[in-house]
Amino acid sequence: MKRLIDAGLEQLVSMLFRMGELAQKTVSLSIMNYIEGTHGHTQVKSLSETLSSMADPIEDTVFEIIARFQPVASDLRILKSYMKICYDFRRYGRYALDISQIYERIGGMGECDISFRKIIEDMGIETLNMVGASIQALKNHDAELAKTLSTMEKRVDELYCSYLDKLIETNTTTECTISSLLVVRYLERIADHATYIGESIVYLATGEKTTLR
Amino acid sequence: MSHDDKIDIRKLNIWFGENHVIRDVDLKIQANAVTAIMGPSGCGKSTMLRAFNRMNDVIKSSRTTGDIFIGEKNIYESNTNVYDLRRQVGMVFQKPNPLPKSIYENIAFGPKIHKMAKGKALDKIVEKSLSAAALWEEVKDRLNDSAFDLSGGQQQRLCIARALAVDPELILMDEPCSALDPAATAKIEQLIRTLSNDYTVVIVTHNMQQASRVSDYTVFLYLGKIIEQGETKAIFENPQHELTEQYITGEFG
Repeated sequence: MKRLIDAGLEQLVSMLFRMGELAQKTVSLSIMNYIEGTHGHTQVKSLSETLSSMADPIEDTVFEIIARFQPVASDLRILKSYMKICYDFRRYGRYALDISQIYERIGGMGECDISFRKIIEDMGIETLNMVGASIQALKNHDAELAKTLSTMEKRVDELYCSYLDKLIETNTTTECTISSLLVVRYLERIADHATYIGESIVYLATGEKTTLR
Repeated sequence: MSHDDKIDIRKLNIWFGENHVIRDVDLKIQANAVTAIMGPSGCGKSTMLRAFNRMNDVIKSSRTTGDIFIGEKNIYESNTNVYDLRRQVGMVFQKPNPLPKSIYENIAFGPKIHKMAKGKALDKIVEKSLSAAALWEEVKDRLNDSAFDLSGGQQQRLCIARALAVDPELILMDEPCSALDPAATAKIEQLIRTLSNDYTVVIVTHNMQQASRVSDYTVFLYLGKIIEQGETKAIFENPQHELTEQYITGEFG
């Protein structure tokens, strides 16, 4: 028999999954635009704003469920985790917008040396993989998949550090390196939020409070 | 038993006739803390509570095996004086049950029969007990009024004060708020928290939210067995047993 709380939880799941799909689309569009040197700021901005506007109804629904049903155990862990994940999705959108703004303001990485471009491309693809894995793990409440984000995040961090090392080594300050320096920082932050989502999924699925970073 | 444990239950079994209600229960209850016993109807939680002051003894068909130590004393030893035990272990029931006497006499009754005090010393016990039960300010000017003139919530606090008046070591509460409105329930719950500074409190409740609000430790009982026990925060956030999860999330019970 369905419990009264279940209708509220199902509504919440549906809202958060929609937000997750949109967050993935926004990040993907922004990163690929940057890598491929394509303009798409207006669309990314619109998606990012939509993501932002989706957060409040999710928070309201969580509070309504808490107030009406006093959830405990796995129900409570889901609510706590979904609140945090909702914030992480919002940040996905915000960093996607930041990347897009950098492209509009300073330009892309087209003029960068191939060695820089390779790092940025690898980092962009790895970050996108992390975003995809975080959303897939959420959909299935899959703690094992969520834990794999730890390894992926280490790879993004390594690429980030190698970018910085190369920048120092070559001592270049062109528009391209300034632009891409900011972008790799945003990618690194998106990867951090993907691991936060992973931690939330491990917690909601198992009750284990873990650090994946 | 460690110094922090007030009650140590070892291999407790209780039958009513052929009905085996409590099955091989081992449990330690922490001193100066609130322990909630929860579980579905018929799981044996009230029976277990009543074992702590041997109230089950008054039911002819009951049979108990095992040991319950309160402090250093095994209360199921044959030389236990159950009247002293019931002074030592106060009890509050589902429905307030004041005596058909004045407010003052309700509190003074226990100390009088146990010859604990009289005169001004008795007056002091009455005031102290009513204060401890957060009722003194509301009744100090009408101590001679009938206890039945009090509201339901006040009557329940009167019963708690009556239990406190005989200086118990342990207070048992069997669904103490089930007959009260939300405001009166909130007062009793606040009182339970305050009492745990000085007393060991064991509360039986159907209301999981109440258990999570008032208790430090929770015991989940099912079909007479302890399924899970531990700190309330852990039980309500991350229960380890699937039955506990199902019960507290309302999947059965």
